[in-house]
Amino acid sequence: MALLEVENLSIGYRTKKGVLQAVDNVSFSVEAGRSLGLVGESGCGKTTIGMALMGLLPRNGRVTAGTMRLMGRDMLGLSREQWRELRWKEIAMIFQAAMNALNPVQRVDQQIAEAILTHNPGLSRGEAHSQVEGLYQLVGLPLERLRDYPHQYSGGMKQRAIIAMALACNPKIIVADEPTTALDVIVQDQILQETKALQKEFNIGIIFISHDISIVAEVCHHIAIMYAGQMVETGTTDEVFRDAKHPYTRALLGSFPALGGERRPLRPIPGEPPLLVGQLMGCRFCDRCPVHGKACKLEPPQRRRFSDTHFALCDHCD
Amino acid sequence: MDHPPQPATILELRGIGKQYRSKGRARQGGGQTVVALNNVTLDFRAGEIFGLVGESGSGKTTCGRLIVGLEKADQGELLLEGRSYGTLKGESLREYRRQVQIIFQDPYQSLNPQLSILDSVAEPLVTNRVGDNKERLEKVLTTLKAVGLSPPEDYAFRFPHQLSGGQRQRVAIARAMILGPKVLVADEPTSMLDASYSAQIFDILLEVRQRLATTIILITHSLAAARYLCDRIAVIYRGNLMETGPADAVISDPRHPYTQALIDATPKFGDCGPIKRYGTLVSPERPASGSAGCAFFRRCGLAHLGRCARQAPELTPLTLGHLVACHYASQTPVPETGQACRLGGM
Repeated sequence: MALLEVENLSIGYRTKKGVLQAVDNVSFSVEAGRSLGLVGESGCGKTTIGMALMGLLPRNGRVTAGTMRLMGRDMLGLSREQWRELRWKEIAMIFQAAMNALNPVQRVDQQIAEAILTHNPGLSRGEAHSQVEGLYQLVGLPLERLRDYPHQYSGGMKQRAIIAMALACNPKIIVADEPTTALDVIVQDQILQETKALQKEFNIGIIFISHDISIVAEVCHHIAIMYAGQMVETGTTDEVFRDAKHPYTRALLGSFPALGGERRPLRPIPGEPPLLVGQLMGCRFCDRCPVHGKACKLEPPQRRRFSDTHFALCDHCD
Repeated sequence: MDHPPQPATILELRGIGKQYRSKGRARQGGGQTVVALNNVTLDFRAGEIFGLVGESGSGKTTCGRLIVGLEKADQGELLLEGRSYGTLKGESLREYRRQVQIIFQDPYQSLNPQLSILDSVAEPLVTNRVGDNKERLEKVLTTLKAVGLSPPEDYAFRFPHQLSGGQRQRVAIARAMILGPKVLVADEPTSMLDASYSAQIFDILLEVRQRLATTIILITHSLAAARYLCDRIAVIYRGNLMETGPADAVISDPRHPYTQALIDATPKFGDCGPIKRYGTLVSPERPASGSAGCAFFRRCGLAHLGRCARQAPELTPLTLGHLVACHYASQTPVPETGQACRLGGM
């Protein structure tokens, strides 16, 4: 059984202009020790999914349809108390902009120890602190920096501290939302390799949210491409990169410069993604799509199957 | 020195140095001198796209700001078509500023939210008293069209908050290009944008160069972007030039251990061809060697404790136009099976 199963999930935000369909009929699953990359541009709903998995949707956001199951247990019917127990212990999140995720007026080791103590009330302070030391060694932070304040850390160190915090309660699943966006390439590479190693060591399932397709290609086993709230293509990393089916996936791959190989011209995607307020008919990528047919604008596209793992939401891909 | 087929040098940096003094009290690490740029010598040729590549804090943005006159160099000279920036005054200084323009990283902050797109883009014309209102409007419309905002009438009367990030960055390009500058500094123009928009911006920059023969200095942290856009690149580390040369040569055959480390760290995807790892980064850093040695000494896997710790290498030509600041660059290529810097002990 998969660790996490999400089926037909839809999430809407109440706004002044009506309900914004941020996530529409999305299904995926994550197994222990595997990682899923959620890729898409800003506004495609990838962070909304992450927030829903943590039970942290803002007040105007609501799951309108679908199910989320963590080890067979339904997550949607949980009370606030039950969420509090689940969060960090079973499922943890590495937030976007790690720089701002730490409390600036509390020493870093205190913050991590606090997280441990909250979820393990039986532990003593000393035990919690020795666990923090263990976590520091795990993520490659020097022990003499334990008592520092967050502002004394560099960006990469803060990111490592955040990862330590996410690991503090031994979660089964980690949602990593753009964990390396603000970092330099060398630090980014170190953190990605480290994350991979930790995942292997503890058999954690990771959902890796990013707009950068090259990072996801580097770390994920499975990839889901999101566009305008929908999952337009899913598959193993190899399937999606070698044999992209959906026109959006192809366009996205074509708009990234590569470091090696032939120097090919980039193909920018014309136009803008649609507004997600109100009734949306037909395919959402239709207006920017190079291969769209007449019916695309009117009929919602069917989910087509290419292998046991490879699907695309398009009527015109072969 | 000059090779006939090469286009003329338009802008030159000669031994540029810049230091900042850190803020705060001395006890908390304030009052220290931070070297942002150290003896940087570069020339930019007319009509080329030149990439300044480095990590944050490497001094690449300082270099860009110096070129447009937003910062003053502490040492060295900046020359536009042979005339030194330091000697310019009055009208000739204004002329320099017309000729050298910049676009910034964050299009959400670089446009005045209270000005319409028309007013924003026309502002340089107004400041420089170019044309009357009608001519300005026409010029704005053609420039907007040139950066892909068409029909321009649809955009001219909107305000920045009504545009997406990619559209805003195009407005910023239009604003920088409207005076027809000879040099355009683009400071990380796409780092705040999604992939599909960055590709659009890249193509606009390529088109600007092609149509107007503008020299573009692209400041970026991405070697992949530099490879796509640039004719030549320079890699900067902590204010020091490490390697410079034709983009293809530097990226496919990097000779400086720092450039090699950058290429190791860049995520690869797609048809990258065979990937080799150089593994030239040591972790953790070794203790500093004092100020005399090579800037990369602390992280360099090839560094020789005697020589590299004591003597900073000079930028020396390896082949025509490919210069490297490393004592060991001219020796046989680095072994490919070096110890890779991987944490976590995998």
